[in-house]
Amino acid sequence: MKRSKTASIVLNGVLLVCSLATILPFLWMLASSLKTNREISTLAQSFLPQAPTVENYANALQKMNFLRYFGNSLLYAVSLTVITVYTSAIAGFVLCKYRFRGRQLLFGAILATMMVPGVVTIIPRYSIMQAVGWLDTWKSLLVPGLFTSFGIFMMRQSCMGIPDEMLEAARIDGGNEFYIFHRIALPMLRNAVSSIAIFQFLWAWEDYLWPYLMMRSQNKQVLSVALNMFSGRYSTDYAGLFAATAIAIIPVVICYLFFQRRFIEGIASAAVKG
Amino acid sequence: MNALIRKHPLRSRSEAVLRNLVVVALIAFFITFFFAPILMAFVGSFHLWNPLKGQYQWNGITNWKMVLNNSLFWRAMGNTVWFSVVAVVARVFIGLLLASALHAKRVKWKSLFRTLYYLPTITPMVAVAFVWKFMYQPQFGLLNQLLNTKINWLFDAHYAMSAILLLTIWKDFGYAVVILLGGLYSLPTDCLEAAEIDGASAWQRFRTITLPLLQPTILFIVITSLISYFQTYIPVMVLTQGGPGTQTYLASYIIYDQAFVKYNFGYSSAISFVLFLVIAMLTVLSFRISGKNDG
Repeated sequence: MKRSKTASIVLNGVLLVCSLATILPFLWMLASSLKTNREISTLAQSFLPQAPTVENYANALQKMNFLRYFGNSLLYAVSLTVITVYTSAIAGFVLCKYRFRGRQLLFGAILATMMVPGVVTIIPRYSIMQAVGWLDTWKSLLVPGLFTSFGIFMMRQSCMGIPDEMLEAARIDGGNEFYIFHRIALPMLRNAVSSIAIFQFLWAWEDYLWPYLMMRSQNKQVLSVALNMFSGRYSTDYAGLFAATAIAIIPVVICYLFFQRRFIEGIASAAVKG
Repeated sequence: MNALIRKHPLRSRSEAVLRNLVVVALIAFFITFFFAPILMAFVGSFHLWNPLKGQYQWNGITNWKMVLNNSLFWRAMGNTVWFSVVAVVARVFIGLLLASALHAKRVKWKSLFRTLYYLPTITPMVAVAFVWKFMYQPQFGLLNQLLNTKINWLFDAHYAMSAILLLTIWKDFGYAVVILLGGLYSLPTDCLEAAEIDGASAWQRFRTITLPLLQPTILFIVITSLISYFQTYIPVMVLTQGGPGTQTYLASYIIYDQAFVKYNFGYSSAISFVLFLVIAMLTVLSFRISGKNDG
């Protein structure tokens, strides 16, 4: 009995220490973003700001123009998410519910692309975009993301849960395939839609290299790129950089805390199916 | 042909339209953005290829020879293997430890802990790397304050790679916790209960029942982690730029540096292919090893 009590204390202790280590960097970032540069570089450090100020955020949003980059990131992530969720659903539906020659081959080829490291394809992709003159346009960001193998794979798996009889019944009632996909299949794919949307949004939100390579004009850059750009330009303005970093992190954290159940279910289902 | 049509009858005109639309789009997309680029990278690796100068000349196996004779490349490959192995082992180890702890009956606030552990995984890498860059800052950085040390983490050859590893492990362990916890919940409980009644200790039960049953989940984490760690690039770019010296050069960092800073597309295509082959071999190897244990 005594042994199990010690075990319980040790277990909870380990878990608690690890969670503290997990959130400490975030708390420190938040606290530092409310300090002035003078306070950050002083010798006598304290964790919490002595005189909290939101001036750094105002600076980052106005002087560093972060509102613009924030908007760009949001637009990029949202449009890519909407596009890939839809294309994944329709491709997954066709690959799952229709029988045609070469279907297995096509699906196998799509799966195989998941194994290809991005470093191999990025140089030719860059050349292709340059050749068609899409550099510095939104097309260069969205078109290469029209389909994702991961999304198609997840959607195809989810489509297997839709009973064929249901689709057949709709066909007998005279529904055409577009109607059947949009009105019957798509609503039944709700769970897959939400987990793909979450993943896609996070990937697009943290994307760095592709937007950096494609966008030439500074005012079209996304947050990650802007952050790296400003860290060079304002390398001594730590307070400003803390605020800028927080602007890139806080929105996703808030989103996550609201929908954390969905996030964790999404990732677990992806792993089980993968 | 007739047999085929009879086997897969088209149900309606709209099915043909929808099917053809999707199939054509998929083929066009995956050829344009995956299969053609792989071919282009391979062919390009035999060329002197610089898009800024408009250069694209055949130069045989020069790039490949340069890659294989380059000591910085081997150094970076060595660093990459070391980095990936440590990061994967740490991820699986911490993941198993915390997932098992969370799985225990005595623990309260399970979902709170799980939520917190997964937090770093969802945050954007560039931003998080900056937070850690500041944490490693020698004067005001949090790490030196907590440890009461004066280490210059990112510029000291002894610590720079560990600093990148620490950031990576911190960012990624939660993913392993969530996935392994899912694996633990799906284990058959009767097996474990029977072993408990027969007097098997917690460690015995873990080693002889839980671990073997979790093996597919662990393999999944190992393979996906290896593939992503072999391509790690952002932490190096933000924290050290490969320094001090060549301590933290990783293979991917050289590829991006050669490709998009120096615009040696042919040369970096050759490196990317070497990396591709190594990743493919490691993936096959992981499957082999796990296959042997099964039999």
